[in-house]
Amino acid sequence: MFHWITALAVLLLLASAFLPIVGFKFSWVPLHWITGLVLTAAVVFHLVRASFFQRLRCIWIRVRDFGDASAGRRAAKYTLAQKLMHAAMGTAVLVVTVTGVIMLAKVDTPLWKRDPYLLETSTWGVVYVLHGAAALLILMLTMTHIYFSLLPEKRAYLRAMIGGQMTRTEAAQFHDPNRWSGERKDDPRENHK
Amino acid sequence: MEIFRITRNAWGQETLEGISWDLLPVAFGLGIAFIVGHLVWRALRRRRGSGKGGQSPSSL
Repeated sequence: MFHWITALAVLLLLASAFLPIVGFKFSWVPLHWITGLVLTAAVVFHLVRASFFQRLRCIWIRVRDFGDASAGRRAAKYTLAQKLMHAAMGTAVLVVTVTGVIMLAKVDTPLWKRDPYLLETSTWGVVYVLHGAAALLILMLTMTHIYFSLLPEKRAYLRAMIGGQMTRTEAAQFHDPNRWSGERKDDPRENHK
Repeated sequence: MEIFRITRNAWGQETLEGISWDLLPVAFGLGIAFIVGHLVWRALRRRRGSGKGGQSPSSL
């Protein structure tokens, strides 16, 4: 559910940001800021959940991951490619979210009045540059993310993203059961692996 | 191709407006280039792997 809410929010944000630039004119600002609030809520939810209720170190990129990937060894919970995609997308989404929240000060909404003098003009420019650069990076990462999900050999991951689970046999194709059992996070076998 | 959008205000001062939208087709093109590059790399690896009698699925 979290993935699909985030995915829908990102796609709507990319569409409302870039379609007007390529010539599709519509009232994009309300859709953009409202969807931006949804993405911000999703990011906050994910940060809290991952930090306090999940095993955060599973997603950390370690030197060992590069050795495992080049040697063709199976990963623990996440493959190197998944960790790299998460790091890149996570960084870009954090930048776009923080700058987007600041930019909300320039929008008149039923909830608040705009205050364009919150920052100096030059600082606003930096905020816009960061927001735009992160958005372009998210466009590239979204394209590659969708491409990887459609590869036949990754079909189990796509089914897991839709149905919420994969079989142990499917998981064992990419993940070493001795390094990640797929059990609860307090499973002692999963510590220090 | 511009990297930034810069305008001049009423007093002739340059103001940074954001990143140039000339970069939008560049970003899209880089995404397509990565996908095509990966498809070629994947096909080459598969051909080499089948010549050696298969490869580990985790290395795909």
